[in-house]
Amino acid sequence: MSRPTSDRDPGARSDLELMEHADGERDAAELAAHLDRDPQARAKVDAIHQIGELVRAHLELSADRVHDASFAAMWRRIDGQLVAPTTGVWARVSAWFDRYRSHVITGAVSAGAVAALALIFRPGTPDPGFPAVGSHVIDVRPAALRATPEIDALDTPGGSSTVVINMDDEDGHAAVIWVTDDTDPEAI
Amino acid sequence: MNKPGQRASISTHGRDPVDDRELVVAAQRGDRDAFKTLFERYHRRAYALAFGVVRHQDDALDVVQDAFIKAHKYLDKFEGNASFFTWLYRIVMNLAIDHLRKHRKVKPVELDEAHLEPDADEPLLPRILGGNPGQALMDKEIRSRIDQALDELSENHRSVLVMRELEGLSYEDMAQAMSCSKGTIMSRLFHARRNMQKRLLDLLDHPSAELVEELTGSAAPAPDADPPADDTARSTRAARSHR
Repeated sequence: MSRPTSDRDPGARSDLELMEHADGERDAAELAAHLDRDPQARAKVDAIHQIGELVRAHLELSADRVHDASFAAMWRRIDGQLVAPTTGVWARVSAWFDRYRSHVITGAVSAGAVAALALIFRPGTPDPGFPAVGSHVIDVRPAALRATPEIDALDTPGGSSTVVINMDDEDGHAAVIWVTDDTDPEAI
Repeated sequence: MNKPGQRASISTHGRDPVDDRELVVAAQRGDRDAFKTLFERYHRRAYALAFGVVRHQDDALDVVQDAFIKAHKYLDKFEGNASFFTWLYRIVMNLAIDHLRKHRKVKPVELDEAHLEPDADEPLLPRILGGNPGQALMDKEIRSRIDQALDELSENHRSVLVMRELEGLSYEDMAQAMSCSKGTIMSRLFHARRNMQKRLLDLLDHPSAELVEELTGSAAPAPDADPPADDTARSTRAARSHR
């Protein structure tokens, strides 16, 4: 039986049409009347369904016969090979944000509060006619360290004691370092 | 027999506490337990599909394993437009077909590609095993014959038949999955069904004594018994023998 031809019953249906009907690829009402009149066509449609049931049930039974242990071992192998999903940048950012949403919001609010306080309490714009209060920095370092001493000569004849002398003269500030083996630096 | 991963336990009960979409989203964030739940739901169904195509248990297990690894790897590509299993089954199907191609020794000849119109001399046959295929499946010989018939189908015929019968895919979906025309799908499906019928009818024409006893509860007929007059008579006999 193939597609209807002019020398056949114009109402006859091809096997392909019957198969389409059986598979729900045609409007069910289209062939319903024909199938009521043609028991052979009805039997073919039933046979198609039967083949389907056999194949489906057979394959599902085949799957049932595989032991659970095989699938448990399969999962262990899968689990051992899982890597982090290769997500895109936005997906990763989104996932990260979802996970740390509360932290991000808390951080953002805190930063905003600090910025607001900084704006409120920031020093005013300095008047060009007066030195800025904030610009005056008090140097708290020891006096000897405020200016790097210029060493003109350093003599260390096996000495173990050191005497540093800072001097201001007409050439500016100078420091003299004495290194001596004398245990009494005051004797220098 | 509703083991995890079976169709019945998934689609008909509808009482899974967490739906697939939520599990997928959780798995996309790196939740392995969520992905494991998806595995537990669908592994047997995926196996049935793979086994239907590759026809070897170990190969089918390999295909399913690779499919889940691949699914996890590309989980971000799943956008939720289709169900998770629909997406998974495409991966399984592609891997199963790839597996066949890699292990194929001889390129199969697809006669139906050149003759899309089914042969007028090879019509579909009305009925095959009476009205109770479920009972028929209890018979080892029939199951063995179904296995043999599936093995003897070409890869393309078998793939289409399995997709259609196991997952109920439309012709259009199958055409997309196999990158061919809808007409080619129809032709492959028609020939696959016709060949399955022929194999199973051959079994009924030449039944073993065990099968006859199984089906009729009586002794086997004499070897020279008259064959049935036509297919309908044969199927009627088979149907009667089931009752």
